[in-house]
Amino acid sequence: MGLPSFDSFSSSARHKLWRGDELGLADGQVIGTGHAALDAQLPGGGWPVGAMTELLQSAPEAHAWQLLLPALAQAVQGSTGPVALIGAPQEPFGPALAARGLPVEALLWIRSEAPAARLWACEQALRCADMAAVLAWLPQARVGELRRLQLAAAQHDALLFVFRPDTAAHSTSPARLRLQLAVCEEDATQIDVHILKRRGPPLASPLQLPARSERMAALLAASQLRRKLRQQQEGGLPPMTEGATVVRLGLHPEKVHALDRIALAA
Amino acid sequence: MHWIALRWPPEIAADTKAALPSPEALGWWALQFTPRVAWVDDEALLLEVSACERLWGGRLALMREIARLNPAPEVPVQRAQGATSLVALARLRMFARGEPPPYELPSGLPLDTLSAARDHLDVLAHLGCRTWGEVEALPRGGLARRFGKELRAALDAAYGLCPESLCWLTLPDAFEQKLELPALAEGAPELMWSAHRLLAALQIWLRARQRGAVAIELQWTLDLRRFNGVDLPPHQQVTVRTAEPTQDMAHLRRLLAERLALTTLAAPASWLRLRSIETTPWAGASTSFLPEDNRKGDRLHELVERLSARLGAQQVLRAVARADHRPEGMQMWRPALHKPKPDARPTPGVGAMYPPWLLREPLRLEIEDERPCYHGRLRKLVGPQRVEAGWWGEGQPAVRDYYIAESPKAGLVWIYRERPSACFTSEAPRWFLQGMYA
Repeated sequence: MGLPSFDSFSSSARHKLWRGDELGLADGQVIGTGHAALDAQLPGGGWPVGAMTELLQSAPEAHAWQLLLPALAQAVQGSTGPVALIGAPQEPFGPALAARGLPVEALLWIRSEAPAARLWACEQALRCADMAAVLAWLPQARVGELRRLQLAAAQHDALLFVFRPDTAAHSTSPARLRLQLAVCEEDATQIDVHILKRRGPPLASPLQLPARSERMAALLAASQLRRKLRQQQEGGLPPMTEGATVVRLGLHPEKVHALDRIALAA
Repeated sequence: MHWIALRWPPEIAADTKAALPSPEALGWWALQFTPRVAWVDDEALLLEVSACERLWGGRLALMREIARLNPAPEVPVQRAQGATSLVALARLRMFARGEPPPYELPSGLPLDTLSAARDHLDVLAHLGCRTWGEVEALPRGGLARRFGKELRAALDAAYGLCPESLCWLTLPDAFEQKLELPALAEGAPELMWSAHRLLAALQIWLRARQRGAVAIELQWTLDLRRFNGVDLPPHQQVTVRTAEPTQDMAHLRRLLAERLALTTLAAPASWLRLRSIETTPWAGASTSFLPEDNRKGDRLHELVERLSARLGAQQVLRAVARADHRPEGMQMWRPALHKPKPDARPTPGVGAMYPPWLLREPLRLEIEDERPCYHGRLRKLVGPQRVEAGWWGEGQPAVRDYYIAESPKAGLVWIYRERPSACFTSEAPRWFLQGMYA
């Protein structure tokens, strides 16, 4: 009997309260990004489903697959429909994407140059119930048009990624999550991810994510090592003794196509 | 025998500006209740329901069902019943005029509700006959001599003394309807406005036949034979196809609107004709209570068809994997409108080192100090990967060495050197960019 104490009130209302210094909760479903460092900084721990995620970068084709492929592979597995690519800057190369979990058949490539047609196609794709995810390259979209897309995504619980040039970083946007991507200046193998907008405190320093897949990094390291060894042999230097690094190339152990074995004779 | 007469008052339809389906389509709609349906005088629809009223749970339930399933919800349907078709029709006419039905049926019905007596109303009124019963009481021979056989035969039929013969409606095997436009149509939106009525009729036909539409054709008759000195064909048409059979007109309507928006009318159109080209048996849709099966939104094939209709089929593509060693031959982009055949031989594991973006036309790279350049001088990291293929086909065989190279500004790229076919050639090797890692 009596009034509920303040503590019980605050615990019951906790899910409705958000304090400015902590990371917000996602309203709906999220899909893990596949990058643990990024997951830790996103509200809910992944890409929000049913909201627009904006990715800003200078080159339209850069980093898109490296950042999104794990989540897209997961989204395609859970749904029967395809991933719509609207206004992709280049032709997506199926075998490379299939090797990383996104089957070729799960791509729907919508080629369109006109900005209005791209927006229309994007909205139609969001209205489709079977769509696993929508990736749209909208360099000229205005705020009102983006708001329309955001509403459509929220209404139909779609996974939407919009790529825009990084000059749009200073303008307002209705997206719930905005990331700016750039190659790290010190280390070209890392991507700097600036989180421009999220439900949570601003991020002071950018996140660093690998710019290359693990296999590619291993391959590059192996070929570099080999090149160094050969230089040493040619130069008549004594071979390295202490640092015999073994690099395993993560090629497929079960069925390796002849083409997949890349000759390491650079 | 028990009859129901139905009427959709045209004055209400005109007031609410609702597009009433054509009389033929209304007849098809009524065929779902009973196989015996007939139009009388283009005024009322007569349904003979004695054999089927138990199926619907009695007369009252049937009347409610008719009102509930009304194909034109804006226009309330007027209903009346009777033991014969003429009685039902007479009661419907009285109901439409707002008069209460007489106490005694059918003798108390006023004469002007009988179609056969309408020519003789004045004479019969001078004789003192105002109701059916008073005419029926006149001697048969004299009545037939004075007013012809039709009046007496109609009375016999109305009293159930002789059988009635009506022209029963049947459902045609294929849908085809014509419609005269209210005014000459100059553009696609006006055509679309009139096509709504035909589509509504098509939906009724599909439901009655239990079929789903796969392809339909909308044809319009051009009003001019020559225009600007050019001979015109008599008709123009658009054909709309959909992948899955449908009874839902919203999708077909959107497809038609997209197709019409891309079509220019050669001359003003006067008639519109819609016909079904291909239909398949309608399986119906199964309902599920699972939330993941009930996501709201369009189906995928509807999206693909709509995008293809507006942007063009070549702009909406799906990939088909192919077994080839040349990167440009490993996938084919086909219009998503035509369902790509599932690949018989998926080749797993191939391509882990391939770039995710491919340049369909390889970009010729400039050479600086015998090294290729792309946004700066390229540094080869991995390679060569040798490809020698395509000698069986037409054109140049692909004889290439692929490298993964690093550009100072563009990141990792995939380049190849064309190996000269002859051993002794003075040409410098040509370098091409074919993929981007990024």
